[in-house]
Amino acid sequence: MKLTTSQWLGLSLLVGLMAFAVLGSVFTPYTVAQQDLNSVMTPPSLTHWLGTDHFGRSMLSRMAHAVGLSFALSLVCVLTSSLIGTAFGVWAVWGGKKVDNALSVAVNVLLALPGLVVVLLFAAIAPGSFLVLYLAISLVQWVEYFRVVRAITQNVIQSPARQSSQMMGFGRWYQFKRHIWPAISPSVFTLAAFGGANAILTMASLGFVSVGIQPPLAELGLMSVALFPYYSEAPWLLAQPLVVIALLILGFHLLAGKRA
Amino acid sequence: MKTLLFKRALQLLTVVWGVGTLTFILMRSLPGDMAYRIAASRYGQDNVNAQAAQMVREELQLDQSAFVAYWHWLTDLLQFKLGDSLVSGMPVTETLQHMLGHSLLLALAGLMVSILIAVPVGLLCAWRGNPLDSIFMGLSSVIRALPVFVIGVLFILLFALHWRWFPVAGFGSFSHLVLPAFTLALSLAAVSNRVVRDSAKRAFSATFYQFSKVKGLPAWQTFRRHGIRNIAVPVVAFFGIQLVSMIEGIVMVESLFSWPGIGHGLAHAIFARDIPVIQGAALVMGVLFVFLNTLVDMLCLWIDPRGAKTE
Amino acid sequence: MSVLLKLIDVAVYVGDRCLLAPISLELTQGQPLTILGKTGSGKSLLAQAIMGLLPTALRVSGEIHVYGKRMTCRERQQLWGRELVMLPQEPWHSLDPIMKCVDQVTEVYQCVKGQNKQDALRSAEEALYQVGLSHIGNKRPDELSGGMAQRLAIAAATAGGATVILADEPTKGLDVSRRDGIVRLLQSRSRFGSLLTITHDVTVARQLGGALLVMKDGHLVEKGETMVVLDSPQDDYTRALIAAEPSVWTDIAPHSQKHDTDDILVVDQLKVARGGRTLFDGLSFSIKQGDVIGVVGDSGCGKSTLGDALLHLVTPLSGRIARLNQAAKPHQWLKLYQDPPSAFSASVSLGQLLDDIIQLHDIDRTRVAPLMAKLSLPNGILERNCLAVSGGELQRFSILRALLLDPVFLFADEPTSRLDPITAKEVTTLLVSLASEAGCAVLLVSHDAALIRKTCHQVISL
Repeated sequence: MKLTTSQWLGLSLLVGLMAFAVLGSVFTPYTVAQQDLNSVMTPPSLTHWLGTDHFGRSMLSRMAHAVGLSFALSLVCVLTSSLIGTAFGVWAVWGGKKVDNALSVAVNVLLALPGLVVVLLFAAIAPGSFLVLYLAISLVQWVEYFRVVRAITQNVIQSPARQSSQMMGFGRWYQFKRHIWPAISPSVFTLAAFGGANAILTMASLGFVSVGIQPPLAELGLMSVALFPYYSEAPWLLAQPLVVIALLILGFHLLAGKRA
Repeated sequence: MKTLLFKRALQLLTVVWGVGTLTFILMRSLPGDMAYRIAASRYGQDNVNAQAAQMVREELQLDQSAFVAYWHWLTDLLQFKLGDSLVSGMPVTETLQHMLGHSLLLALAGLMVSILIAVPVGLLCAWRGNPLDSIFMGLSSVIRALPVFVIGVLFILLFALHWRWFPVAGFGSFSHLVLPAFTLALSLAAVSNRVVRDSAKRAFSATFYQFSKVKGLPAWQTFRRHGIRNIAVPVVAFFGIQLVSMIEGIVMVESLFSWPGIGHGLAHAIFARDIPVIQGAALVMGVLFVFLNTLVDMLCLWIDPRGAKTE
Repeated sequence: MSVLLKLIDVAVYVGDRCLLAPISLELTQGQPLTILGKTGSGKSLLAQAIMGLLPTALRVSGEIHVYGKRMTCRERQQLWGRELVMLPQEPWHSLDPIMKCVDQVTEVYQCVKGQNKQDALRSAEEALYQVGLSHIGNKRPDELSGGMAQRLAIAAATAGGATVILADEPTKGLDVSRRDGIVRLLQSRSRFGSLLTITHDVTVARQLGGALLVMKDGHLVEKGETMVVLDSPQDDYTRALIAAEPSVWTDIAPHSQKHDTDDILVVDQLKVARGGRTLFDGLSFSIKQGDVIGVVGDSGCGKSTLGDALLHLVTPLSGRIARLNQAAKPHQWLKLYQDPPSAFSASVSLGQLLDDIIQLHDIDRTRVAPLMAKLSLPNGILERNCLAVSGGELQRFSILRALLLDPVFLFADEPTSRLDPITAKEVTTLLVSLASEAGCAVLLVSHDAALIRKTCHQVISL
């Protein structure tokens, strides 16, 4: 697959942030929850490269963990939802009317509520649980893949090219490999990039309204809301999570390509 | 048309069932004796005793088997018996009515402002082309990367705390509405202006648009007769898609600006584990969502009757 | 006879590349002018240059005079609708998809002629009546057939009073009967002015008469009185174009048909419907080994559906389709498609697609080279994908792919309708001769009755 300049830019942005997350969590001498009330809200220095927060915790450690957590969530959500959505999308077309109808009903149920509300309700059942957050976001996101893949596959199935391959005796795997996958893969890739951004956004939103990941764990939305009261004394602290969320989402959007 | 309404009616039922089931699981999964918890949040921690807990247990029928309780739960819901708030003790329906009014006000204001931004900007980009087009499209890419609450925080920092033009949060006067509405509008417009622009570009370069001018119609008449409606078709359809972002945006914006609407209510109720309010707020949002979607569907059909045959 | 339109050395460039070599012509009153040439020969650019419709990336040089006065692009745009009008290629695309048909004519009387709403509506209804469309006023363009859409476009285009009409492939994709109607309508509409027609169809040029220009790759190759040029062409290219018309083909149906060969397929009382509409009923015929069967009929009559039914791609409502040749495997009943690029996966090279088949059916690889030579396919195309080769080459490649599977029956669904006439003749000839050499029966569907007459043993009319 050939990437455009802006897609390369997005990819490098994401790789850079991921490197920061990995290196930051491995090499930092401070843990996420380690408080030092003697040095609260210090500006960036040699001991604390990104400064310390209102409990004297190292911002570098906390940011690295928060970014790592965001990436971990978006990765598992994208993998799960794209696999399930793609598989079900192709199955709905190939599996006959009954399968298609059953899947449409399931999709209609899920589409009846805005995604964030579904995630909020799940989060209410098990507050602060990464697992539940992951399940809820994947549950919401696979529908998008399903709809797109199903629509494209329906066209491919009726296309002369696929029909001709079938008449010449090729099996289903070949038809998927040569006809369906080349047709759906660009869309699946774009959806995956947007899905990654949305997973991060959803977790941050939940953190921001204090029903997501719970303290003392570091999470970008949670940190934004915790550091907000200190915006005038320590603006560099509030800026960190906000800028990083924006960069993460921008990275995924750029990677998705120019079609939004 | 009929199948469309039928499909939406079915969705309405699934909203009720889905919300009811999730909140039922939520209630069952709470740790500790439910009756004690509820009594404590109702009467205060000091006033809880076995008698109060027993009263709560009977009132809410907490001692039934899970299946029977689930049945009761759903039938109550279908009759719109939403109960009282565990925190304030107020009837949920009454609370929701207040919240709904505020949310609709915010949503309407946000939508209006977003249309006022997106439509002129999109048309201008399609009409004038580069460099204006690249500038606006680049700008909207950047804004799209900002979550709605980040836009809100920036607005508060700049317009409320730094320049003190508008109040930080709350509700009451027109000036309270400005920042939340613009936050919501900006995040919606950053996406929809591109849809307007693409649709307008497609219409302007369409053969029928050119043919209208070749027939002798002046540019303005061509735009009025063949431009507006054809551009509107995908744009209105996109508003349906954007409803999701709008409702999600409302949850975030209301929480940030302490706007006393449904979204704020839902987030607060989840934090306080106020189950009747969670259920009511989620229900209202779902119903509103399905209702608005139906409205958009019908609007699409009215603008472009071609869809009626394929439905 | 006054000169309505005069071009002096008009050429079109993109950057420094010349798309249309300098050309001069005159359009005089009452004397239609036809430009003949295959698709992609720069004909449409000329019409757009005259109108002032070229995209801004293209540059025009030379002089364009209208009514004896040299005019700039902007001045010519002022004449649109009132004096000068152009009919675009695709009538469906030139009509507003969501506006009622009658409104698209009414608005011209209103905005160009300055009539009030009632008068404009009356004028429009009269105009629709004249082109035989009075019953479709309240429909939308997507509910019209191609011929109806073209007539509506003509009514709308000429409502403003323009008498100088430029028609860019006005009969593209229309059946023969519809085509003749459109030509007559154009002639009557340009009676008081003149008509400049761009076409690839020699018959249309013949019907229009007047003067003729023949173009090839953006160059003028021959000009003169239409009848003179068509009856005694001087240039090789003009000769090839005329010879490619099916009506003048020599009979290419293979002679080797033996009467003692077996039936491979028997169709009995077949009834097929599509979209709730019965297409044909009580259809019976049989196909012998090596037969070439033609199917003709107007568009939408179910020609292609019949072929699909024979291949079990469509389920018939009633009747029997019996394959008598038990030795043949399912993959030896094949189809050639109307639009060659849509019949191939663009994700890999053509060579890879060929390898896939060779591997799947264990085909002798040495058969490929001689067949490619017979089909005059260059070796290089195996490295490219289906979007990077021409339509003619791709259709010949589909024939190659089909023949490698030793087919007993081949359904060719308008296999040459998307190709230019010269290539179409080559492909049809190759298909028929190679298939009958291999003993494969062909069901050839075409909207061109002349083509079928010249190629087939047996004709089914729907």
